[in-house]
Amino acid sequence: MKISRIFSMTLLAGFAACGPAQAADAAHGQKIFAECAACHSAAKAPSGVGPSLYGVFGRKAGTLDDFRFSPAMKRANIVWSRETLESYIADPQKAIPANRMPFGGIPDAQNRADLLDYMEQTFK
Amino acid sequence: MAKKLKEVDVVIVGLGWTGGILSKELTDAGLKVVALERGGNRTTQDDYALPGVRDELRYVVRHDLMQNTARDTLTVRNNISQEALPMRRLGSFLPGEVVGGSGVHWSGHTWRWTDMELKVRSMYEERYGKKYIPADMTIQDWGVSYAELEPYYEKFERAAAVSGKAGNLRGQIQEGGNPFEAPRQNEYALPPLTKIHASEMFNAAAKNLGYHPFPRPSANASRPYTNQYGAQFGACEYCGYCQRFGCEANAKGSPHVAIIPAVMKSANFELRAHSWVTRVIKDKSGKRVTGVLYINVLTGEEFEQPANMVILTAFALNNVHIMLTSGIGQPYDPKTGKGVIGKNYCYQTGTSATLFFEGKHFNPFMNAGGSNDTIDDFNTNWDFDRSKFGYIGGANISGGFNTNLPIGYRPVPRGTPQWGREWKAATAKWYQAAMKIDASGAVMANRYNYLDLDPTYRNAFGQPLMRMTFDYKENEHKMGQHAAQVINDIAKSMNPTHFTPAVARTDPWTVVPYQSTHNTGGTIMGVNPKSSAVNRYLQSWDCHNLFVVGANVFAHNSSYNPTGPVGALAYWTADAIRNQYLKNPGQLVHA
Ligand SMILES: Cc1cc2nc3c(=O)[nH]c(=O)nc-3n(C[C@H](O)[C@H](O)[C@H](O)COP(=O)(O)OP(=O)(O)OC[C@H]3O[C@@H](n4cnc5c(N)ncnc54)[C@H](O)[C@@H]3O)c2cc1C
Repeated sequence: MKISRIFSMTLLAGFAACGPAQAADAAHGQKIFAECAACHSAAKAPSGVGPSLYGVFGRKAGTLDDFRFSPAMKRANIVWSRETLESYIADPQKAIPANRMPFGGIPDAQNRADLLDYMEQTFK
Repeated sequence: MAKKLKEVDVVIVGLGWTGGILSKELTDAGLKVVALERGGNRTTQDDYALPGVRDELRYVVRHDLMQNTARDTLTVRNNISQEALPMRRLGSFLPGEVVGGSGVHWSGHTWRWTDMELKVRSMYEERYGKKYIPADMTIQDWGVSYAELEPYYEKFERAAAVSGKAGNLRGQIQEGGNPFEAPRQNEYALPPLTKIHASEMFNAAAKNLGYHPFPRPSANASRPYTNQYGAQFGACEYCGYCQRFGCEANAKGSPHVAIIPAVMKSANFELRAHSWVTRVIKDKSGKRVTGVLYINVLTGEEFEQPANMVILTAFALNNVHIMLTSGIGQPYDPKTGKGVIGKNYCYQTGTSATLFFEGKHFNPFMNAGGSNDTIDDFNTNWDFDRSKFGYIGGANISGGFNTNLPIGYRPVPRGTPQWGREWKAATAKWYQAAMKIDASGAVMANRYNYLDLDPTYRNAFGQPLMRMTFDYKENEHKMGQHAAQVINDIAKSMNPTHFTPAVARTDPWTVVPYQSTHNTGGTIMGVNPKSSAVNRYLQSWDCHNLFVVGANVFAHNSSYNPTGPVGALAYWTADAIRNQYLKNPGQLVHA
């Protein structure tokens, strides 16, 4: 309950900051993915420092077999979609408090949109 | 009886920074390399992940990544008239014991030492006269120049993801960098880290007094980064847990992230963890080594690993210890000044002030290993006239903080009780409002500071412990006084509510509080086998197929952290092996 409320709030804030929708740019998104790549693989590969993101869309959070997730992530009870990922990467600790990803988030809505475009194209 | 294994081309002793670099370079050259590492193999995902890596008790108090003193330690004393006693608990320095070595839990400050260090004796003699150098100060030139090392410094900075701002690009002084640094061919691998507020305040105050502040270069990636080996670094999250911890974000330049995974992919390479090398074996002629003896610390089994070439990369202190237990080179004797193994052991000195600003919120829990600003006006600045103060060397002065841990970091003004209600109130009041200005000072080699084997105490393998005889001398005292004065002047100009001034240390060195793991010397490099243990390529003068790589080759210590030149010299040695030694095995320098 609480988590979904936070999600919708973040989403609204995200849209407001975005203003008139700009065309997302997957090539730019790929550059932004560099911030994730030290821990997350985009290709079909075993999990590393972070869980593999291959096939993340539609997956239930905290369920990959080869990664030890935090209790917070296991309890989150969400399915990864463009929307849930968007709110998560905007402010990971706010979206899922006490999760273990050591990352402060991507505050800029356009950057998030580009990143998600790239992610959708690459590993949906 | 040791079990004799099949011969390999190269055995690497210790897999930290230098071991990682030499392993990579020599497997690339097509050699079959075995690395023996006394510690276990740990990885970011399994061992340095959140939340386990935030364990202050485990890593800071119980030294989980560091040398186990129940197996091996040193005995220590301040001078030759004392009886040395074993250091039963680590304190003053914290050598690593894990794949990645101390490079796992270092902060990452990465400097280029200049000719002022590499040619210390000739430059001081030329500028201040021969008499300026005290008779018992055994400083000497290293036999290598900055210009020779420049490309290797760069190679190391790129491997380790060093963030910084150039101050001198090919002779052009750059705004915002260190104007006193030696010319660099290129910018740093990454732009500087974001300044913390305390560093911004220090920067402004230093500028105001006419000094030249700049961001400290550090192997903490300010941006996501991929190095020449394809290692991917995340951007530093300013988590505040840098030194003594592995980095959960792979943002710190550490061997187990930067280089070892690339070596592991090579079919030419084999890592044997939990393998403690006790000795290098010489052949009958005494001019060649034939391999090493090691013990599997999990099973107690002993092995002989024959090799065509042995490279000691076991950290400065351990390299010297292995040379002594192997009987290679003449041990140094402070009474006669003869011998080379153990000579010119150096450390560092320092002093600091704590400034308290009522109402400030510095967020001390948020910083990178190197997110503070610093000045070199009294260090690499050769124009600074030392004769007014009568010392040699210098001090790098920095403002801010790093790794202020939530439990251990408790700054309170002078006079606060050390426990109880008043202490609690003060700690709550000042935790957010304190910052520091620190000096890290050079230590010049002295005839009576040295390393040898202890006559009494032995380690778990029955070998004599190494004995450290060390104290600060007049040069360090004078430098400390000057550095304290500079710090206090900057501090006062910042108008703090309270301030605990810097005081020059004149008390003897002790092993108890942590100071730095910047131990240098013991098998120094040089141009002459009578006064140095290894030549300019870090090759043993005695055994041509033995190379000894690490800060143990530094002929003296500077104010800077050591790993910049340690890494550069590792690449420089690798180059000499690949391009000279392999073509024509034998002494590379004839003296
Ligand atoms: C807390 C801390 C902070 C530091 N911060 C900085 C900094 O900011 N800047 C800087 O320049 N330097 C810093 N240092 C120092 C830096 O870590 C070292 O200079 C650097 O790691 C040295 O590289 P090395 O290859 O010589 O040794 P290491 O990286 O320590 O590797 C040596 C390896 O050899 C292994 N070994 C030792 N003996 C044996 C044996 N007998 N048999 C088998 N294996 C053996 C060890 O287990 C270790 O893994 C810091 C060190 C510490 C502890």
